[in-house]
Amino acid sequence: MAKITLDIFRFDQAVDDIPHRDKVALEIPETITVLDALEFAKAEVDGSISFRRSCRSAICGSCSMNINGVTGLACKTPCNTVLRSDGTIAIDPMPNFQPMKDLVVHMDPFWDKYTRLKPYLQPPDRDEDNPTERRVSPDDMKKLVEVANCVMCATCYALCPVVSVDPAFAGPAAIAYAYRFVEDVRDGQTKERLGQINDDYLWLCAHCYACSYCPKHVEPHDRIVDVKRRTVQESVHMNERGPRHALVVNKTIKQTGMLGETEVIQGTVGRFNIRGLLKVAPLGLRMASKGKLPPIFLRPIPKVDEVRTIFESLEVPTLK
Amino acid sequence: MTTLLPEHQVRDAHRHSKSSQTKRYGFFPGCVAKESCKELFNSTMLLADRLGIELIELTAASCCGASVVNDTNRDIARVLNARTYAQAEALGLDDVITICSTCTGHMRAANKELLESEERMTHANAILGKFGAKYEGNVMVRHLLWLLIDDIGLDTLRSMVVRPLNGLKVAPFYGCHIIRPESVNGWESARNPHSLEDLIEAIGGEAIDYAGKTRCCGFHIQLEKGNTAASMVGQNMRIAKDKGAEAVLTPCPLCHLALDGYQQDAAARWGRTDLPVFHLPQLVAFALGIPAQKLGLNKHLIDPRVVLTDRELIA
Ligand code: SF4
Ligand code: SF4
Ligand code: FES
Repeated sequence: MAKITLDIFRFDQAVDDIPHRDKVALEIPETITVLDALEFAKAEVDGSISFRRSCRSAICGSCSMNINGVTGLACKTPCNTVLRSDGTIAIDPMPNFQPMKDLVVHMDPFWDKYTRLKPYLQPPDRDEDNPTERRVSPDDMKKLVEVANCVMCATCYALCPVVSVDPAFAGPAAIAYAYRFVEDVRDGQTKERLGQINDDYLWLCAHCYACSYCPKHVEPHDRIVDVKRRTVQESVHMNERGPRHALVVNKTIKQTGMLGETEVIQGTVGRFNIRGLLKVAPLGLRMASKGKLPPIFLRPIPKVDEVRTIFESLEVPTLK
Repeated sequence: MTTLLPEHQVRDAHRHSKSSQTKRYGFFPGCVAKESCKELFNSTMLLADRLGIELIELTAASCCGASVVNDTNRDIARVLNARTYAQAEALGLDDVITICSTCTGHMRAANKELLESEERMTHANAILGKFGAKYEGNVMVRHLLWLLIDDIGLDTLRSMVVRPLNGLKVAPFYGCHIIRPESVNGWESARNPHSLEDLIEAIGGEAIDYAGKTRCCGFHIQLEKGNTAASMVGQNMRIAKDKGAEAVLTPCPLCHLALDGYQQDAAARWGRTDLPVFHLPQLVAFALGIPAQKLGLNKHLIDPRVVLTDRELIA
């Protein structure tokens, strides 16, 4: 048994203007999970402490919260792995969400992003050869197993720095779920789905890998890259900045061996997009005033032919 | 057939061989240090000279793929990096030192993919073979930050400081790809790294602990949606400033471009922060006595010479 103090965020939107904190001192085995500690606090000390949970075994996805600054499933986090030296554990609601009551948050923005994806199979017309079933080969299924493990706990969404400043971004879980249908051979709406997730700012992922802390190993950051590749393969939204950026980066590396900053800016924003260029111009001017502008023409690296050979051997889509 | 060593074994092998030899390293500066952040390249070379190590630039190396090449093709970045590693090996260099968090993460990821799979190694070498190159799998990619701590050591650095930072309050900003994903980097805890803090303290500064230090600078979405990227900068700089930071230190030139360039644009939403941002080797070189005029501090948009003057570190 150990003396553990839970330092809990308390807030009730129905009565409180601002949140406060309650410290609940417990004597519990230190190997139990943070969720069990909360259950104990609720049963023995203060019945009004609110949090979501159901399965207690990392399957339902209800209990994600911020534990000593780290967001994750309370039922998968043993107290002794997070205990501070003073014996406390600070517990807060998931970041990037509006608190409702204590550790319970408004999940609506997260669900909305799923709903927009039409998250159900939309098969093409009936398969006359197989009228009663839609077959998937084990290989095709393999691609989906990882993402199918998503329990919609929103841990990744709470960790995403882009979501925290721009709620228009679909966020990691929804994009991983888009992958789940885009890569499903039984689905007939691939292009529509890619269009939808592109509209929901697929390319606004900042490549930060914060979502690599998904407790179910969905690896949303990798699925995001997969959906981007598929977008380019299917030539969806090719006039938007995201795909153009990817292609112009490839183009400059193929030509010079280096990522040509100047050309990438022009190629992404659009050489003739005067408004767009003017928007990046103030920064450009500030940089120019410090002699900090990247060169306009890059000298190719030595043996750049080798780089071209690599590109040509691996067949990238090229910029016209 | 190549025998592939798991990276920790490679690392141990390096550790043991390094101590007795002169310190020569393969050096991969990356595109940005050769383009818009030349001051980073220059201060790295000055620092290396002061430390008595030899950084041998891999002049024919290509871009690492910058996390963007992956967006269209799984294989290209891996093979581009294999080409770079083959060049290092051909020069007898097994250590490839980077000065950019993004280069570090992506070059290490490519190396891991190659070292973990005979199939991928063979595939890469089949393409390198077209121009007579081959990667044997001996390279280890490390950031200058790790070199400073592992090979030079904090004690040695401390003993070399001639211009201690006089308690300058510095907020570390790691840059995502030098810590995450942990499976690729793993040199220190990604959730609570402290190498930059240790370094800041070793050169006489005070490291500021703040929630933004492991967060993202938004660089990779600047062209996609500038306001969002600027806001990511503003959010992190706000927290640092509120915790008392006077300056920021980063091992990544992309973070530098974002933090130095976008604080002004973020001011409308996050208030003015105006924190000067140092490149890692700039601040270390400064503490080791290299004259401020040589470090390109005048190239920054937010002039770092102001805080240095305030702290009576430069006249
Ligand atoms: S991807 Fe992972 S972290 Fe995100 S909602 Fe699904 S299970 Fe949770
Ligand atoms: S990798 Fe992309 S989706 Fe994942 S947390 Fe970072 S910005 Fe968000
Ligand atoms: S209670 Fe179901 S995931 Fe934690």
